[in-house]
Amino acid sequence: MSLCLALNVKAQTRISGKVIAGDDKAPVIGASIKIKDAPGGTTTDANGIFTLNVPQNAVLVISFVGYNNKEVPVGSQTTLSITLDPINNDLTEVVVTGYSTQRKKDLTGAVAVVNIAQLKSQPAASAIESLQGKAAGVAIITDGAPGSTPQIRVRGTTTINNNDPLYVIDGVPYEGKLSWLSQNDIESMQVLKDASSSSIYGARANNGVVIITTKKGAPGAPKISIDSYYGIQTPRSNTFPKMMSPQQYADYLFLGYRNAGLTPSTGTNYGTGSSPTLPEYLLAGSATGQNITAADADPSKYNYTRDPNTFYQITRANQQGTNWFDEMTESAPTQSYQLSATGGGENAIYSFGGGYLKQDGTIKNTGFTRYNFRSNTQFTALNNKLRFGENAQYSYSEGFGFGVNPNVAGEYQDEGSPISWAYRIPTIIPVYDIRGNFAGSRGSGLGNAENPVAVLYRAKDNLNRSNFFFGNVFGEYDIIPGLTARTSFGLRYENYNGQTLRYPNLEFLEGNNSNNLGEYQGYTTEWTWTNTLNYKKTFGKHVFNILAGTEAIRSRNRQLNAGRNDFFLLGNQDYYYLNAGASNFSNSSTGTIGSLFSLFAKADYSFNDRYLLSATIRRDGSSNFGPDNKYGYFPAVSGAWRISEEDFMKDNSLFSDLKFRVGYGQTGNQRIPSFQYLSRFQSAVNSAGYPLGGGNGVISGVYQNAYSNPAVKWESLSSLNIGLDFTVKGGALDGSVDWYNKKTSDMLYPVPLPSTAVGMGTSPFVNAGDMSNKGVEVNLGYHVNRNNDNPFKFDAGINFSRNINKVVKLADGITKQPYGNFRSLTTSILEAGQPFGAFYGYKVAGIYQNAGDITGNPSYTGARVGGFKYQDVDGDGAITPGDRTIIGDPNPDFLYSLSLNVAYKNWDVAMFFNGVQGNDIYEATRYFTDFPTFDGARSTRLLDAWSPTNTGSMIPSPYVGVSDLEYASSSYYVQNGSFFRMKNLQIGYTIPVKAFGTKLGISRVRIYASATNIFTITNYTGLDPEISQESDTFSVPGLDRGIYPSPRQYLLGLSIGF
Amino acid sequence: MLIAVLCTVLSCKKDFIEGNPQGELITGNLTSQDGVEALLTGAYGLLNGNVNGTWGNYGAAPSQWLFGEVASDNAHKGSSNGDQPNMNLIEQHSPTSTNDNLANIWDRCFEGIQRCNNTLRVLSALQAGQGTVKFDDTRAAQIQAEARLLRGHYYFFLVRVFKNVPLITETTTDPAVDNTKDIYPDIVNDLTYAVANLPTSKPRDQVGRVDKYIAQAYLGKVLLYQKKYTEAYAQLNAVITAKPDLVTLSFADNFDIEKENGPESVFAVQHAVGTDGTGGDNGNVGDMLNFPYAVACCGFYQPTIDLANAFKVDAAGLPLLDGSYRTNPYISDMGLTGAAKTGYTVPRTLALDPRIDYTLGRRGVDYRKGYGLMPGDSWIRDAGNAGPFVVVKNVLDQGQITAGTAPGSTNVTGLNVNLIRLADIYLMAAECAVENGDLSRALVLVNKVRARAALLPPKTVAGGFPAAAYRVSPYPSFANQTYARNAVRMERRLELAMEGHRFFDLVRWGIAKQTLESYFGFEGGYFNYLRGITIETRDDYFPLPQDQIDRSKGILKQSPGY
Repeated sequence: MSLCLALNVKAQTRISGKVIAGDDKAPVIGASIKIKDAPGGTTTDANGIFTLNVPQNAVLVISFVGYNNKEVPVGSQTTLSITLDPINNDLTEVVVTGYSTQRKKDLTGAVAVVNIAQLKSQPAASAIESLQGKAAGVAIITDGAPGSTPQIRVRGTTTINNNDPLYVIDGVPYEGKLSWLSQNDIESMQVLKDASSSSIYGARANNGVVIITTKKGAPGAPKISIDSYYGIQTPRSNTFPKMMSPQQYADYLFLGYRNAGLTPSTGTNYGTGSSPTLPEYLLAGSATGQNITAADADPSKYNYTRDPNTFYQITRANQQGTNWFDEMTESAPTQSYQLSATGGGENAIYSFGGGYLKQDGTIKNTGFTRYNFRSNTQFTALNNKLRFGENAQYSYSEGFGFGVNPNVAGEYQDEGSPISWAYRIPTIIPVYDIRGNFAGSRGSGLGNAENPVAVLYRAKDNLNRSNFFFGNVFGEYDIIPGLTARTSFGLRYENYNGQTLRYPNLEFLEGNNSNNLGEYQGYTTEWTWTNTLNYKKTFGKHVFNILAGTEAIRSRNRQLNAGRNDFFLLGNQDYYYLNAGASNFSNSSTGTIGSLFSLFAKADYSFNDRYLLSATIRRDGSSNFGPDNKYGYFPAVSGAWRISEEDFMKDNSLFSDLKFRVGYGQTGNQRIPSFQYLSRFQSAVNSAGYPLGGGNGVISGVYQNAYSNPAVKWESLSSLNIGLDFTVKGGALDGSVDWYNKKTSDMLYPVPLPSTAVGMGTSPFVNAGDMSNKGVEVNLGYHVNRNNDNPFKFDAGINFSRNINKVVKLADGITKQPYGNFRSLTTSILEAGQPFGAFYGYKVAGIYQNAGDITGNPSYTGARVGGFKYQDVDGDGAITPGDRTIIGDPNPDFLYSLSLNVAYKNWDVAMFFNGVQGNDIYEATRYFTDFPTFDGARSTRLLDAWSPTNTGSMIPSPYVGVSDLEYASSSYYVQNGSFFRMKNLQIGYTIPVKAFGTKLGISRVRIYASATNIFTITNYTGLDPEISQESDTFSVPGLDRGIYPSPRQYLLGLSIGF
Repeated sequence: MLIAVLCTVLSCKKDFIEGNPQGELITGNLTSQDGVEALLTGAYGLLNGNVNGTWGNYGAAPSQWLFGEVASDNAHKGSSNGDQPNMNLIEQHSPTSTNDNLANIWDRCFEGIQRCNNTLRVLSALQAGQGTVKFDDTRAAQIQAEARLLRGHYYFFLVRVFKNVPLITETTTDPAVDNTKDIYPDIVNDLTYAVANLPTSKPRDQVGRVDKYIAQAYLGKVLLYQKKYTEAYAQLNAVITAKPDLVTLSFADNFDIEKENGPESVFAVQHAVGTDGTGGDNGNVGDMLNFPYAVACCGFYQPTIDLANAFKVDAAGLPLLDGSYRTNPYISDMGLTGAAKTGYTVPRTLALDPRIDYTLGRRGVDYRKGYGLMPGDSWIRDAGNAGPFVVVKNVLDQGQITAGTAPGSTNVTGLNVNLIRLADIYLMAAECAVENGDLSRALVLVNKVRARAALLPPKTVAGGFPAAAYRVSPYPSFANQTYARNAVRMERRLELAMEGHRFFDLVRWGIAKQTLESYFGFEGGYFNYLRGITIETRDDYFPLPQDQIDRSKGILKQSPGY
């Protein structure tokens, strides 16, 4: 024994070494050093240094989480320098799932783990915007509105009402827009797509769960980084709709009369001759068009006043034509400066972030500014058994102008929006009158559109502001080894306010001289108290993890609105206080409350790293439901089989990792307005008041505003997911394939009841109808030189997802429900067996070529030669509302994206392409531009209208007094919305650190240039093929009423690390 | 520790997930005298056809301008062809069941009916002892009578437009009721109850409430629609007897915001603006499109050329009952160009009933007070579409705009709309008298209406000259029943033009087809879109709203012919 010892002692050599990481060249702290086939070992210290006695010919095995094990023969060396290569197959990445963390390789559900580096290579105001195309099965529709949170849909449309996912930010659930959150603060993002992964979030998980973790500290010296960019956004003017010139429009007008057998009677602008002439002036006082005499147009009479009786405007005709889309857009800067610092010591870690973002809009007089601040800290005490800390974020944001930071994506769409006006206002109207004030539709036959440049300019004083706090404090304690109790109290507090102003708009035909200030103030609070108990235990090859918890959530919103008219000064921000208004005093307040109490449990079991099993259950109690249906249960079970761990796969030459997953679970939806189970009445002077005493005094009355459904309960969704994850040997190719089948049942939606049942009150939400979504998702990654030192690196990623949506059943007895009213159009329908939001209307079968064509075919009152011939769908020989049918599907056949990343030495290039295929868009703006509905701009499409010499055209000929059936909802409005877009290109260069020397302490400098929306291939004729759906209950997907188009963006960026 | 936390949270969970609606009431809050009165006020609140939001209540307008006048020979939709195109189809009598104006009146009337039913339901619960202090029997009966009269009114508005209407009352438990039953008897029941239980003075001394005279007038009107002339006459004549002599009352006061609720105003929808903190929700929102174009808004509701010419009188000062007023028609400056247009002068020698210039605005003639002369096309959105005339009766004098319109919306006025005024009652009674063979009574009543018209001050043109050879004389006699019938019907048209009666009168007289086809022949000579329209039996009524048929799961049946 002593001999042995002596022998051993004799053979030992003392060596020392330093372990550094191959990726960031930093020392590796806590790496394990073992001697192969012999006892003994150590770990590296805070500087990555170790010392160890080793026998002769020893081989060291160095390991560290996230890095490949490395074997180093000591030989005769006594000082070693060891570099660990990072493992880049992502499988060991720890991801945050429901109330716990898991290694990616242990996942059993369908979880999309977003590559944050790739996400950040596309700088955007909202992290959701850059998520587009980065996760298979997650459809994101963006627009150009500054500060907007894009529309996000996880695996299709699951319900008729709100389809937004639940966000969980640092463990605290959150519903709403994300414009307050800086992209830079995000450390990781996961999307829980199937019920087996998300049902731990129970009643709020139907639309998927997006888990966001903000940056945490790590022990070590402070790492400071500055990320900034500045750029220019330019409107993509080649996509602007083309409108007729004034002369073309006048010709079109005259032809319309001639075709109807009438003498042209187009007002005073175009003369009384047989062909139109253009006027010199449009307006001079009350004289219009060609009636304007030199005396009328005498500039000394000009008087741009607030008083309609003395208002005297002189406007020249723009005979060349105004391009209103050009006029209302401009290039606009965007910039962001973000600072972060992370670090920590043995018992405390911290992460700090702060930043400023300012994005102006490419539509004039719009912009969004955000200041954000974040502090995440964690402390350990009691021998590391107690951990506590906080995550806190505060952001102040301010938006001004039209369409900025909307609460629901695309909600600014309106026929009175500047974008709609740009579609409608005649091109003969100039932007400004002879004195540089706004010109408008006041005049003869100029329609009733408002000057969009004027509307935008006047809306510049419309502000919205938000003070947003979001965060939590938490503590966790290891009671016994493996058993951890955790409590977290999260708080969301938002205080928001804003003002909207109205200015006199007498240049507008329907304008008036009223001016108004509307002001609002409101707050939203929501606290979430979560308590969990987690027990982890390993018995040999069995690993258990059991979690149980409770969660209580309470929310409240309250808002105060007030307004007044008649301000002495206009346009003076310092003057706009309510007291200064002289008339139309108004005020109101509204509010909501809600609470949830939940119990949940989760059990994970794995055997031999090969068989994984997970089960969850949650019981939610919600204030949204009545006494009989307060509680809902949401179970899920899933399993995975790591086939690659099986002996029979050990020798396969193809896969280094192969995992098969199956999951089934149920989730719920409770996102309906509160108290649907009660009949509710309002005492309201506007809705139920009556001047019983005569005169102008109104007495308030009471009316039933909401009808009840005492039986209302949870909407539930059950989903089956089958997936396969694989990594090909060598790690060059990896990916996953998922197939799913989701069925929403007891769908919550307010089935419109007949007026005989509810009058004009609100129909209650009922549990009626089923919806089905089935689909396939594929994502593939291809990596060159990922795990070696070759300076050339290449990565490619492909995402593909296909979802088939079907409304299976509506409420009992209801098979069809047309909805989506816009002017006289009803655009969409819910119909069993059809996809959600299918477009509805007449099918254009052609153009009536002659009188015989009308009499010989099904027709309608007012059918005419040169007008639409519709398909007689019901075969009754006439065109009636019964012939309306499905004319399009807003749901895409599939989504796809491609990302390419190349790096060579200090250079890196990232490219990202995104596409949507097979969806239809309802171009509702054609109601104004393609039909004789209102006087106004007409699309150049109509230059190719049907005529006796152009009989092949499918566009109706100009005609005065057409039947309303000609512009009723029809397939003429429905266009193919497929597009393929080069979304992003970024080229970066990392300046070698030695260029700065060591004195400055700079560890990393990268500069980059990027461009977004570089090209778009589409046949769609609207401003932008990305159309956010309207409203969140009874959403109308794919209806284009004038979207804020995404600009092209050129950025220069700089990142510096200390 | 955690166990303790869990238990604490669990024990409070029951309360934790309960709460009360915010800013809303539940049924229990309303079972009181104040609750019932407030519900009744809400039931009155729908008389202006608006829940809230001002825009879009055109079909439900208390003036019934769209279904009562645009659908007749009195008025065009106006404005330009493409504006509110569904209204063109009402004018052309080719509406489809998806026409939004149909849903508009249907929904709002049923909202009114729901409010009446809720009032009756909660009243009955209170009187049955389910609340606090009951009403005394008198007020309880009055409230019932008020609510039932209002319900009768909402049903009457529905039945005139749709004919086939489902009956929902306070005792209906399943609202899936079909529309095959004639509901006129139920309307009569409600109104009969109101006659029996309403006082002749206004309940609670509030001028906007319904009283016994309103109930009698309304009952008389509904009975007349059912051709029950004797019973109708009794009710109508009772009101005539109780009210001042029409000849002593001013015609123009009926359309003057400063003379509201005067002696001639029997049942007026009360409109109020400016003091309720709303953008005009309690004003006359149904007529908010109906102004000369440059005056307030929109340029809708233009009187027809046929109506203007119907005001012509013969040498004896009597209307041209044979239709000869269409000979050599007066069309103002329509179609003129160049110097003829700019130099147009009013033909002052035309012999006209003076009511023409209190019913329609025409170029060169003094318009309402403060506006000066009507300037012609600059007040018209598209003269080629709907002619040279503009509305008058629902417009304010210029000096009344500031106080009489909603803040920021000069097109929402506080002017009341007369549902039934005394002249209407005289003429309905005259009609009953004619059908009952009492021609002398009919003559007396018609001549009182004409005698009052003769007192109207003449309107002037530039220079202060009378705008026409105004003349309106009493009928010396009615030669026979047919003549008397024609005279009464013509008087009704002239007196009540643009007040929402005409189309419904034509239908109940059974002459809609002949009158309108003849009118389209005449008016179509000026407006292409009216040419060649034929009227079918179905056109006496309008189709039920398609969405309501769909939502009823087929229980509601579409009107025949649609």
